[in-house]
Amino acid sequence: MEKKKIDEDGSGPSSPKPVDRFGFIKPESSNSPDNLKRSKSSGSEREKRRVQKWRKMIGVGGSDWKHYVRRKPLVVKRRIRKGIPDCLRGLVWQLISGSRDLLLMNPGVYEQLVIYETSASELDIIRDISRTFPSHVFFQQRHGPGQRSLYNVLKAYSVYDRDVGYVQGMGFIAGLLLLYMSEEDAFWLLVALLKGAVHAPMEGLYLSGLPLVQQYLFQFDLLVKEYLPKLGEHFSQEVINPSMYASQWFITVFSYSFPFHLALRIWDVFLYEGVKVVFRVGLALLKSCHDDLVKLPFEKLIHALRNFPEEVMDPDTLLPLAYSIKISKPLEELKLEYEKVHGKEGQSIIARGKQKQVLERNGSSSRNSKRAEKQKGESIKSPETILLKKVSLRRHFSHRKAEHDKLDGPVAQPVQELKRRDSQLMSRHATS
Amino acid sequence: MATIGHNNLNAKLVLLGDMGAGKSSVVLRFVKGQFLEFQESTIGAAFFSQTLAVNDATVKFEIWDTAGQERYHSLAPMYYRGAAAAIIVYDITTQESFSRAKKWVQELQKQGNPNMVMALAGNKADLEEKRVVLAEEARTYAEENGLFFMETSAKTAKNVNEIFYEIAKKLPRAQAPQNPAGMVLVDRQGDAARASSCCS
Ligand SMILES: Nc1nc2c(ncn2[C@@H]2O[C@H](COP(=O)(O)OP(=O)(O)OP(=O)(O)O)[C@@H](O)[C@H]2O)c(=O)[nH]1
Ligand SMILES: [Mg+2]
Repeated sequence: MEKKKIDEDGSGPSSPKPVDRFGFIKPESSNSPDNLKRSKSSGSEREKRRVQKWRKMIGVGGSDWKHYVRRKPLVVKRRIRKGIPDCLRGLVWQLISGSRDLLLMNPGVYEQLVIYETSASELDIIRDISRTFPSHVFFQQRHGPGQRSLYNVLKAYSVYDRDVGYVQGMGFIAGLLLLYMSEEDAFWLLVALLKGAVHAPMEGLYLSGLPLVQQYLFQFDLLVKEYLPKLGEHFSQEVINPSMYASQWFITVFSYSFPFHLALRIWDVFLYEGVKVVFRVGLALLKSCHDDLVKLPFEKLIHALRNFPEEVMDPDTLLPLAYSIKISKPLEELKLEYEKVHGKEGQSIIARGKQKQVLERNGSSSRNSKRAEKQKGESIKSPETILLKKVSLRRHFSHRKAEHDKLDGPVAQPVQELKRRDSQLMSRHATS
Repeated sequence: MATIGHNNLNAKLVLLGDMGAGKSSVVLRFVKGQFLEFQESTIGAAFFSQTLAVNDATVKFEIWDTAGQERYHSLAPMYYRGAAAAIIVYDITTQESFSRAKKWVQELQKQGNPNMVMALAGNKADLEEKRVVLAEEARTYAEENGLFFMETSAKTAKNVNEIFYEIAKKLPRAQAPQNPAGMVLVDRQGDAARASSCCS
């Protein structure tokens, strides 16, 4: 009973707790370098100029962004790797993930999903709501705005894609997004990621059997053996495999149980460059501690792999190290190798439904037909493909005339709504 | 796998059970003596260890706390494979969690180590007013399936240490049949060792 009940603290303004710059309640004994860092980087002239550069690059409400990216993709990449200014992060994330386009193409859909639909996952979601970032001020208040929007986003997604539904881990991703954008924006970003608006779809992380988690762990295991052979050997001897320490890296893209300031920097790059950065950061973490890790026996090793030292977690040293690790080619090769044994993952919405039927009918012997079907849906999907989902949704709703009309509403209105929201967002961050 | 040294036993233990049943809370109570009203969901799995003294021997538990949601099922075998003991946790306030516990028992009976010591924990026993699973029902089920049963509360600490202690006592006894030649066990390091007297 040493730990107090958090809901008591969250219920009134009387007991403000010290929080870090991201809103996480500081553990009592914390002497994190958070404050030191802040005074160095924020508020300085350099920082101001950086934000200005970014604003120019984005344009009003993101109007110049696409143009800029097309003209100077490498400048964008470099700047993103340096970290997106916190006050612009939410907006830029939506631009680079393709979620903004999805939002514009699907006016009213989110509201439909939240208000009118029910999902089999609702109970699971409710059970997890107060267990997602319980130490963050935004999420800790029972039934407070944070918990409500988290519930809405997760529920909406579980309706949007009933095959995925709600899977533990998604809450941390949604929670991280909600600290930077509205519910609806967070929802579409989740869609963009899982359905693959810009990069390979992530839904395989959460589908039955966690196929993509299995694939990533397989790839990571072999990457460790290749890049850090001595450590790989030591892991084998101690019977340690990546699922013991890295599954949550992939499942939540470092948003679970990981220093938040570093997670954000990883997310900047992850949204622009794709999942490769998760592998790279994983390898960089191991590499930074390599000489200690190779000496540790099982138990200490497990502990060390979950608690990397603070100095290793500094984004400005860890991330450059991560980028120096070149893995594109081996990653692709290992994927093919994995697929040889297990069949392909990362499937399209349309192909999967059919495929599942085929699988269920024929058992595992249907691997070939499965593969053929998947090949069709394999390429990375454009927002247009994802829009298909809307069409089926619309059919789904067609018995409800009023809602149906809403789905067909003019696009102009949401654009304005977005602009308003963006300027709000910007000023909210600018003043905080 | 349980390995026996000089009166010291290392035992791999796995916690299984529905999401939110209280697996992490039970471990946290046992290992750190803490309880959090809002314990973060477990993603993947977490490792803990704790040593208990049982009579004149010590048992060091190497504990894997798994993620409870059905979707994570495919990751579980890695953690229960080779485990010497399992605690299957359900929440006395939900019937589904009890059904889920039964499924785990079946799975362990089929796939787990045949000498595994299995305990069934009806957790959240402090929430008597919300109880839906009767203790008698669970006890009968446990007896029929060769598990031992306790109702626990990670919140009040009721029966938490006890359940681990009970497992610790049962461990060497469960290991004995693996060594038909007698009681001399040799562990990985080659230490000659004897099962401690508590197993009689
Ligand atoms: N009242 C009461 N609440 C408990 C007890 N044990 C756990 N809880 C609460 O139940 C919730 C879930 O507990 P966890 O220990 O995280 O459950 P879990 O089985 O590890 O769940 P997953 O990690 O999702 O699989 C938490 O909010 C705990 O505070 C208990 O004995 N009594
Ligand atoms: Mg847990």
